[in-house]
Amino acid sequence: MILSEKTVKKIREKASKYPKRKAAILPSLTLAYKQLGYVDNEIYIEISEVINVPQLEIAEAASFYTMFPKKPRGKYLLQVCNNISCALLGADAMVDRLEEKLAIKRGETTDDGLFTLISVECLGSCCTAPMIQINDDFHENLTRKKLDKLLEGLKNGK
Amino acid sequence: MAEAVKEKISAVATVTCTIDGQQITVPRGTSVFDAAKRNGIVIPAFCNHDKLKPVGACRMCYVEIEKMPKLQVSCATMATDGMVVSTNSQQVREGRKAVIEFTLINHPLDCPTCDKGGECDLQDLTFDHGYDDSRFGFNKMRFIEEEKRATFDDLKIGPEIVLNRNRCILCYKCVRANKEAFGEYDIGAFERGDLTEINATPGGEVSNPFSGNLVEICPVGALTNSDWRYKIRVWLTKTVPSICNFSGSGTNITFYKEDHKNFLFRVTARCNDDIDDGWLSDITRYGYQIVNSESRLKTPLIKKGGKQVAASWDEALAVIKKHMGEIKDQSGGVCIGGLISPSLDNASLYSFSKLFRTIFKSNNIDFRGDYRYLPSVTDSPFTIAASQPFSISEMETSEVIITFGTDLIREHHNEYLKIRRAVNFFNATVYSVNPYAVKTADIAKSEMVYSPGTDELVINGVCLVAIEKKLVDSSAAAKLKPKISKLSLGEIAKQTGVSREQFVELAEAISSAKKISFIVGEIVARSLDRDKICAALSNMNKLFGIQDKGQLAVLARYANSKGAQKLGISATPYEIVKKELKKIWGEYPDCQPRNTDAMINLMKKEEIKGFITVGANPMRLYPDRRFASEGLEHVDFLVACDMFETETTELADVVLPLCSWAEYDGDYINLEGKVQTGKQAIKPKHESKAAFEIMELIARQFGAKLFENEQNKNGEIEKLLNLDSVLPWPDNFFEIEYEKKSSQDGYPVPLFICDDPHHSGHLTEKSPSLLNFTDSAYVELSKDLAAKIGVADGDPLRVESPVGKIVVPAKISAVLNSDVAIIPRNFSSTQTTSLLMRKKRVDSVKLTRVEE
Ligand code: SF4
Ligand code: FES
Ligand code: FES
Repeated sequence: MILSEKTVKKIREKASKYPKRKAAILPSLTLAYKQLGYVDNEIYIEISEVINVPQLEIAEAASFYTMFPKKPRGKYLLQVCNNISCALLGADAMVDRLEEKLAIKRGETTDDGLFTLISVECLGSCCTAPMIQINDDFHENLTRKKLDKLLEGLKNGK
Repeated sequence: MAEAVKEKISAVATVTCTIDGQQITVPRGTSVFDAAKRNGIVIPAFCNHDKLKPVGACRMCYVEIEKMPKLQVSCATMATDGMVVSTNSQQVREGRKAVIEFTLINHPLDCPTCDKGGECDLQDLTFDHGYDDSRFGFNKMRFIEEEKRATFDDLKIGPEIVLNRNRCILCYKCVRANKEAFGEYDIGAFERGDLTEINATPGGEVSNPFSGNLVEICPVGALTNSDWRYKIRVWLTKTVPSICNFSGSGTNITFYKEDHKNFLFRVTARCNDDIDDGWLSDITRYGYQIVNSESRLKTPLIKKGGKQVAASWDEALAVIKKHMGEIKDQSGGVCIGGLISPSLDNASLYSFSKLFRTIFKSNNIDFRGDYRYLPSVTDSPFTIAASQPFSISEMETSEVIITFGTDLIREHHNEYLKIRRAVNFFNATVYSVNPYAVKTADIAKSEMVYSPGTDELVINGVCLVAIEKKLVDSSAAAKLKPKISKLSLGEIAKQTGVSREQFVELAEAISSAKKISFIVGEIVARSLDRDKICAALSNMNKLFGIQDKGQLAVLARYANSKGAQKLGISATPYEIVKKELKKIWGEYPDCQPRNTDAMINLMKKEEIKGFITVGANPMRLYPDRRFASEGLEHVDFLVACDMFETETTELADVVLPLCSWAEYDGDYINLEGKVQTGKQAIKPKHESKAAFEIMELIARQFGAKLFENEQNKNGEIEKLLNLDSVLPWPDNFFEIEYEKKSSQDGYPVPLFICDDPHHSGHLTEKSPSLLNFTDSAYVELSKDLAAKIGVADGDPLRVESPVGKIVVPAKISAVLNSDVAIIPRNFSSTQTTSLLMRKKRVDSVKLTRVEE
């Protein structure tokens, strides 16, 4: 099993609360994601055994939700907003800078497993554009300099 | 629509609405789409399907409804009182045009290379309702599987299914049918928005026993099957209505043929709501390929110097005349016997019986070549149970459905699907009661798995609980109780492995149900104790009054088993049939009747010297191969008629090539007793002949005629079919004897030999498509048992019984949960029946890993 005993236990608890087994699909995926940072077919099969829902239904649901990553991600998830306000104020330049500094492309993870870079839609912080969300935190009014400093900090474990 | 469903619908309230100026009254809950359709107004649609719940995915069925500001999808809008609908207003027409334009945004428009061309809903509706141009000039989105780029972006997602995601219009019919109607989870819709794609479950393939239907209902060329694609354009074929020859329900089908090539191209459904709801099993869909098979027997064969050599019909018939004549003259017709396949049509079955009974004056005939030892009596409890009436569509409206001793997915596909429909659409409650866990159980309220060989005890247990809990009539209870209470309920629970609570649950369900369907299948029919089990069922039927509020029957397994019963094809026909035969023929042989088992026994004693098999293959299917081969090898003169070389024809002195059911008109009686006609689709291949012709030819050799003419023959058959052939249950309760059943020492695992879900009998292995699903035998076992033995999926396993031994790969079952082994009997490459003993109650085997 890839899922830990703790996760499995939590999934069982959650599943027992729903009158229909299928309803437990999303909570189970969320719990699996919380443990692993991603979900994939092996996980669908494991969840399917725990909550007794066909693997297919879990795979379908997971594939529908883009916010379940299907591959392991780096320790820091760099999410650059590329919607209209950020775009007008230089989001592309920010992405370029990150791509250059980290030597990866959008959607990729650095070899050391530290950073994953993706671009996302509006994060609701338009008045402070351009902006980036790193894991759960917002960093706003970005400039290249600010971005470099942020990266340095993260690399040094700050 | 099925009578039962009609009744159910008419019992509910109705609504009246106006569609295109017509006043229309329909039951509440009917969609606008269906209301229109029932009154001859056709609304174009892609995603709507009669037998599935509406989803409103394609938007093609737009209509305008007064007081509603926007166009509405008629398939998902229920008709209400006073609703005024217009299906062809200016706004609707514009709406449809827009829908088509949107649907085509990413569609490749590759009709010239698409196999669906000519029968494609998208093509047709675009012509009828679309613009002739599109405003979307940008590049179309394309799914490309890099390595497969060369083959028009096609993706093989199952043994027979090819998917082209670019053509898919996302109507979800395939996924819905698979889940809702078949209960299968091997195809799904993934991702979202314009990236949405249909595909097989990750890591799997689409190979369920109903997968062919997905291709048939796909409105475009997104799903095609390897059977039909690129072989011929649909408009170059002709269609012929027929029925399936591989199971007892008589599924309605359409043959597609081409006359110049005298070739069948495919089979599609010919929806009959009473029987099949328009769904075909893959066996029905791909089984027809045996007709085209290159390995068909082409000419008669005669054994000369130990070798079978080709001969003309005249030569073969002369040899038959010479040898059968000798046997008849020297030892008497009683030394001649015959076995015929219950898949053959009425005329063939009846001619066979008439040949034996009036020309050979012999009573040695049977149609049950795959049942072990069967006593020769007319009104045994089993015979009575098998003669009971049954209606497939009545299951839909049954409140409770019980499946007992039947693995439906291996025996009765239509009934398997009908039960799912009853649950998903009509809220039926299902109980699955079987000696091993079966697939049907996934929709059952509860599943009871009893230990193999305790079938009658389970029934007694239910009766005892009902008596104890006073769920049944007390005077009947008082009469039955002493006859079945030699074992206490506790003891029964211990022996059967079914708990007291489960017995209570079942008894309560049976007694409280307003309408019930109790289905008994092959596991009971093939059991040595079938009579005892059916006696117990007779008791139960009487105690609960099951038939007063529904149906209970042993389902007929083969295409014309019911016909064989009605026409008296067994050694011991129903009394009333016998009487009628005497009347028609003016004679009836008074010699001892011998069924399959008795005949084979007498072969060894050289009392049966001549034997004719017609479409039957006892060497493969008789549940004791050693017994069958010892018998058949002893026969002085063996005539075997079949479509193919089989284990039985190999032994024959004369082999005659038999027609398939697609090569002549024939009547078949399905398990409900319905007479249906299978029309001739193509001319007989090679020199093959229909069984009834062969019987007539043999009769002529003996200077007699079976029938003056066609009319005569049909008239005689008609008379028999008009008889009421339902045998009454006896008035008394049966006393059920108990025997302690112990499994044979050293052979701990109970064995069941049955059909693979993709095969039926001994013929389907000649269908290349069906071989793509399963091409050889295996032993199916539970995960736990496999772990105990230490084998993984696919590892070779030695299966040993006291009399035989085979080595087959292990197949780990997703369903089984107890220690049993299941082996299919459909492949000539494995002698499965060599593991069986004809007088054994529970076959059991020892499973060991084959060391490398
Ligand atoms: S593959 Fe065919 S049936 Fe399935 S969703 Fe696409 S168009 Fe509909
Ligand atoms: S556009 Fe970037 S936060 Fe809204
Ligand atoms: S048929 Fe009504 S939306 Fe598709």
